[in-house]
Amino acid sequence: MKTSALAIRLKIPDNEAFTALGALQRLEIGVTRLERADVWVFQAEDAHAGALLSAVRRNETLFNPNKHELAELEANRPRAGEVWIEELGEDPGLRARLGGKMIPGVRSAKRYVAWRLFGSDNAAVDPATARAAAEALLCNPAIERAIL
Amino acid sequence: MSAKVGVLIYPGTNSEDETLKLLHDVGVDARLVHWSEAATLPNYDAYVLPGGFAHEDRIRAGAIAAHDRMTDSVIEGAQKGKLVFGLCNGAQIVLEAGLVPGTGPVRRPTAAFTRNSPNGKFICRHVHVRLAIDPQRCAITAALPKDSLIPAWAAHGEGRLAATDAHLKEIASGGHLAFVYAHADGSVDDRAVPNGSALGAAALTNREGNVLAIMPHPERDAWGFNHPDRARGTDMLAPSGGVALFESFAKALK
Repeated sequence: MKTSALAIRLKIPDNEAFTALGALQRLEIGVTRLERADVWVFQAEDAHAGALLSAVRRNETLFNPNKHELAELEANRPRAGEVWIEELGEDPGLRARLGGKMIPGVRSAKRYVAWRLFGSDNAAVDPATARAAAEALLCNPAIERAIL
Repeated sequence: MSAKVGVLIYPGTNSEDETLKLLHDVGVDARLVHWSEAATLPNYDAYVLPGGFAHEDRIRAGAIAAHDRMTDSVIEGAQKGKLVFGLCNGAQIVLEAGLVPGTGPVRRPTAAFTRNSPNGKFICRHVHVRLAIDPQRCAITAALPKDSLIPAWAAHGEGRLAATDAHLKEIASGGHLAFVYAHADGSVDDRAVPNGSALGAAALTNREGNVLAIMPHPERDAWGFNHPDRARGTDMLAPSGGVALFESFAKALK
C-alpha cells in the first residue's frame, strides 16, 4: 500500500482565496498572498499507485482540466506556512467522497482544504501566523480540525 | 418613537424582500440596509439577518459575513442588548460570529449549522418547529404561548447543528435550544428532523436571550398562499403560523 498526497488547485483566479485574503487582512493577520488547494491523501494498492495521478485526472468530480491543475506533493503533511483543514463528523464512505466514482486500487481517501499563507516578503508565514489565521477564520473547531 | 429595525443585505443575501414584507405586515418599522450603508447600522435598534448565501458561503456558510463590517455593528448591538434575529443564512452568520450559543468569545464559534446529514444534499421541505424553551427565556419568543408550533420552510444545504459533545451539552443544559423540529401534531422524534441536526435543533438563542438564530424560514409560511395546504381550500390571504414568531419579535421591540 502506498500513501500519496495530491493537490488540486484552480488555475483560474481563485475568488474564494481572494475573499479569504481580504478577510484575514481585515483581521490584521500578516498575510499578503493566499493559495488554496484541495489536498487528497490516498492509500492505494502498490499495483495501482503508479497510475493514481492519471486516474484522478479522469475523475471529473474531483478534477476539471479546464480549470484545475494537479500536482503530487512531496509529503502528506502541510508545508511551511500551510494549514490543512479537515472536516470532522460522519464518514460518507469512500465512494461518496470520490464523487460516486471509485478510483482503481484506492483503499482510502481523505480530503483537506489546504491554505498556504505568504507574508510581506512573499515567504511562507511562520507557524504562529498560520495558527492565528486558522483560529480566526479558516477553521471552525466545532466542525473542523486545523493541521499545521 | 417606534424601534427602527435594520434588515441587513450582505453580498449574496436573497431573502430580504419577504423578510421586510412580513416585518412591515406585523407593524415593525424596518428598512433594508445595503452593505454599502454599513456605517448607518449603529442607528438601528435591532437587526434582522435574512437568508441567502452571504459572500457566496466562501470558506463556510456565514464565515466571511461574520467578519464583515456590518457584523461589527450587529455584534456591538447584541452586546448592548439589542435584538438580533438571524434566519437561515442569517442564523449561520450569527453562529459563525459566536453570538449564539454565545458560550465562547465573539467570533470564536463553538457550534455551526453545517452540511446536512446523511447525504449533504440541499433540502427544500415544509417543516414545523416547536418552542423548546420557556417563551420568556428569549425576548424574541416571549409573546409566544408555551410549546408553540410554528410552520416554516426548510431550504438549506447546511442546516445541521454540529458541535463537540461538550458544547452540545452546554447548549442543551444552558437553555440555548430555542426550537426543535417537530411533526405537524407537535410530537418530536428523529423523523421530524430533516437534516440530522444535533438535538433536533432548529433554532438557538444566547445566554441573554436577545439573539435568536433559526434555520428554517418562518417568513416563507406567513400567509395562506405560502402554506402547502393552500390547494385544499385554505384562505390564501389568512395569516399562517409563521406570522406568530414575527409578531412576538414586534412585541419585543415595544
